[in-house]
Amino acid sequence: MSEIAPVAAPLDRRALAELRVRLADGLHARAGEATAKAAPRELLVCAGGACISCHSIAVADELESALAAGGLAGEVRVVRVGCMGLCEAGPLVVVSPDGVYYQKVDREGARRIVAEHLGAGRVVRDLELAWDSPDGRRLTGREVPFFAQQVKIALRNCGVIDPAAIGEYVARDGYLALEKALFELSADDVVAALKESGLRGRGGAGFPSGMKWQFVREAPGDEKFAVCNGDEGDPGAFMDRSLLEGDPHSVIEGMTIAGRVTGAHRGFVYVRAEYPLAIERLDNALAAARAAGLLGEDILGSGFAFDIEIRIGAGAFVCGEETALLRSIEGKRGTPQPRPPFPAQHGLWGKPTLINNVETWASVSPILLRGAKWFAAIGTGRSKGTKVFALAGAIRNTGLVEVPMGISLRTIVEEIGGGIPNQRRFKAAQSGGPSGGCIPAAAADVAIDYESLQELGSIMGSGGLIILDDHTCMVELARFFLEFLVEESCGKCPPCRIGTRVMLNLLERITKGEAVPEDLDTLEALGRHIQRTSLCGLGQTAPNAVLSTLRHFRAEYDAHVLEGRCPAGQCKALLTYTIAAESCSGCALCAKACPSGAITGEIKHVHTIAQDLCIHCGACLSVCPTDAVEAV
Amino acid sequence: MSTGNELARDAATVETHAVDQPDDSVSPATLALIDAYLGDHPGGAERLIPVLHRVQEELGYLPHPVIKAIAERLGISPIQAYGVVSFYHFFTTVPRGRYQLKVCMGTACFVRNANSVLESIRDTIGLEVGGVTKDRLFSLEQVRCLGACGLAPAMMVNSEVHGHLTRTAVRKLLQGLRAKARQKRAAGEADGE
Ligand SMILES: Cc1cc2nc3c(=O)[nH]c(=O)nc-3n(C[C@H](O)[C@H](O)[C@H](O)COP(=O)(O)O)c2cc1C
Ligand code: FES
Repeated sequence: MSEIAPVAAPLDRRALAELRVRLADGLHARAGEATAKAAPRELLVCAGGACISCHSIAVADELESALAAGGLAGEVRVVRVGCMGLCEAGPLVVVSPDGVYYQKVDREGARRIVAEHLGAGRVVRDLELAWDSPDGRRLTGREVPFFAQQVKIALRNCGVIDPAAIGEYVARDGYLALEKALFELSADDVVAALKESGLRGRGGAGFPSGMKWQFVREAPGDEKFAVCNGDEGDPGAFMDRSLLEGDPHSVIEGMTIAGRVTGAHRGFVYVRAEYPLAIERLDNALAAARAAGLLGEDILGSGFAFDIEIRIGAGAFVCGEETALLRSIEGKRGTPQPRPPFPAQHGLWGKPTLINNVETWASVSPILLRGAKWFAAIGTGRSKGTKVFALAGAIRNTGLVEVPMGISLRTIVEEIGGGIPNQRRFKAAQSGGPSGGCIPAAAADVAIDYESLQELGSIMGSGGLIILDDHTCMVELARFFLEFLVEESCGKCPPCRIGTRVMLNLLERITKGEAVPEDLDTLEALGRHIQRTSLCGLGQTAPNAVLSTLRHFRAEYDAHVLEGRCPAGQCKALLTYTIAAESCSGCALCAKACPSGAITGEIKHVHTIAQDLCIHCGACLSVCPTDAVEAV
Repeated sequence: MSTGNELARDAATVETHAVDQPDDSVSPATLALIDAYLGDHPGGAERLIPVLHRVQEELGYLPHPVIKAIAERLGISPIQAYGVVSFYHFFTTVPRGRYQLKVCMGTACFVRNANSVLESIRDTIGLEVGGVTKDRLFSLEQVRCLGACGLAPAMMVNSEVHGHLTRTAVRKLLQGLRAKARQKRAAGEADGE
């Protein structure tokens, strides 16, 4: 099943329809959906960012040469698809239509898959992705809870199609929603559908998307813009990156529909400079869409013109904030502007501008195709549809997941995430990046939506979900986020510029054991002031990490301040270092590393640390080859 | 906004200025690059950031005279252009190493002990954040999230991501790069003779 030949001439609607019919079965099969006809054998190799770092491209090449050597090259095709989600087990290879998943495949594994699975017709058991279910069954492939619990809307094509093949996107009903918006629906119909679907912005604030589209549509002005926010600045988040890498056309289609609805003829996608692969794939997709007549003048013969340009960020977190991002596209320093006026009225170069997040854009087409009611039936009262989360930190299955709103944190952590590794205990989840907060394990059964997270003192944010175990000190975590924000504050308004710095100083005192009890009250009061008085969302949410940990983990702060103790054993200055005689090999590395000369001992004999000289730097701990240094 | 990182960078500026920017001239090749880019992309001052990207990609950094030349061509004041360069972390006015190490200090990496990566780099090649080794082989920066959190702790060497790093893995990686550079140099010298 080959992809459409690179399109030289624009396609018309009939050509698109033929493509859909011709390729549909193969692509349904890849996604594990029922097919009318038998689908051809294909090997899907994950070419998402994480798997590429684990050499998945070499695995794909090896598969191809093994196929050629086995005389199978004409029968079985290797497809390089976007992120399949289970980054932890990468590189992943799937045999379609069999639905067999192979994990951590290296070159030898690739040869075995071709020889044993394709050649001898026998699944390579020791490479197969398999989990034991609680009732003792061996779950494989899509039965594995990591996949089984997910509902994919924004990520519908990620890991299924080759992002470089526009024909494969088309075959998954790609650009069908655009055709609908161009030829069947009125602009008001589209806005009404988005409103009825209940879709809210996936970039953090959760503003109702239909309303935003309507504002821009109704804003006076003959020049308007559509902008995609792909800055994804939250550390610990990789949803937008994976989407842009794995299914760039879904964003292009959403933006083009918005152009039609609002009257914009130019769009911009703002992508972080740290994502070269996303930029490359998006750039290729834009060129393919232009060649196919899906972007440019007179799209599909409708008379409507729209095109999209890429703008590359330059490493400033605050540029994720919409007004700062627009300044940055204009070529200026990315300092936020007071709102109102909102970008919908006064955006890029002062013109009405519709700015949405990558995931929001990718959710538009399915809503128009499958109906607002279908979308609104998923989720909770005021949070509809699904949310993509990047699961990372102290969790067994790091990766990308899309789950229905209203799912519990426990399901995400224990079932999808596979629990906490290293026999440690689930302590909290951090959502919303530096602007967000911590959800304690005690609240793990709360149904996750925009409102419930806010009640817990966190936010949905853009989807970074960092799982923390009992070895993470919450004070140190709060300090980490504040340090980030102090660095990233643009400096324009004093509450944020000075306030966050003062909070950081206080937190540093706490983690060093130099704080007094009143410091905690000062922290809290200062945090509330900064929230109220900062100019933009960065400052207004900057204290969240501190306030939410103070609220849920007050005892841990008290232990630092009142007892000079770090219960998680992370704050170096508060730990007591000792050498366990039974494990010390007497190598003297620690004595060499100790900057204060506190460690003494003969070579090949047990060493000791003089507590009165110890400055708690932790150098001995990090050099000890036998883990004999203990810190409590 | 001043952090250890920036202070170190400033110190580096002082050191390298005298060496690398003896005068105010911009090489004809660089000017041609700028003019070609601007010729291909008609527009106004909004082209500042893209053209800075293009030039830094080529030169590895943005010398002050180059920034001035770009500003002139875009019809903005040099100070406006400097303002943009200094605002964005990605732009640098000092040369970096041949291998640019970018250690992720994002949340996921932080939780999985990214500090040990920095420590191991320091122990192996004596480099602190913001520094460049004397032979210009390595420079070290910390960045916030490479988007490779599944591989935490992670670091980028130029545009390649390395994940699941341990102290030993970092040491081996750096020693490997150093050996490779040494081999290349030896080969290059042989060629020259
Ligand atoms: C400090 C700060 C950082 C932000 N970073 C991002 C980001 O990285 N990506 C994003 O889509 N939105 C980000 N936002 C939210 C945007 O301002 C804006 O709400 C969003 O792009 C609107 O799109 P949506 O309605 O589709 O969510 C950020 C906001 C603030 C205050
Ligand atoms: S936190 Fe390091 S790659 Fe995301």
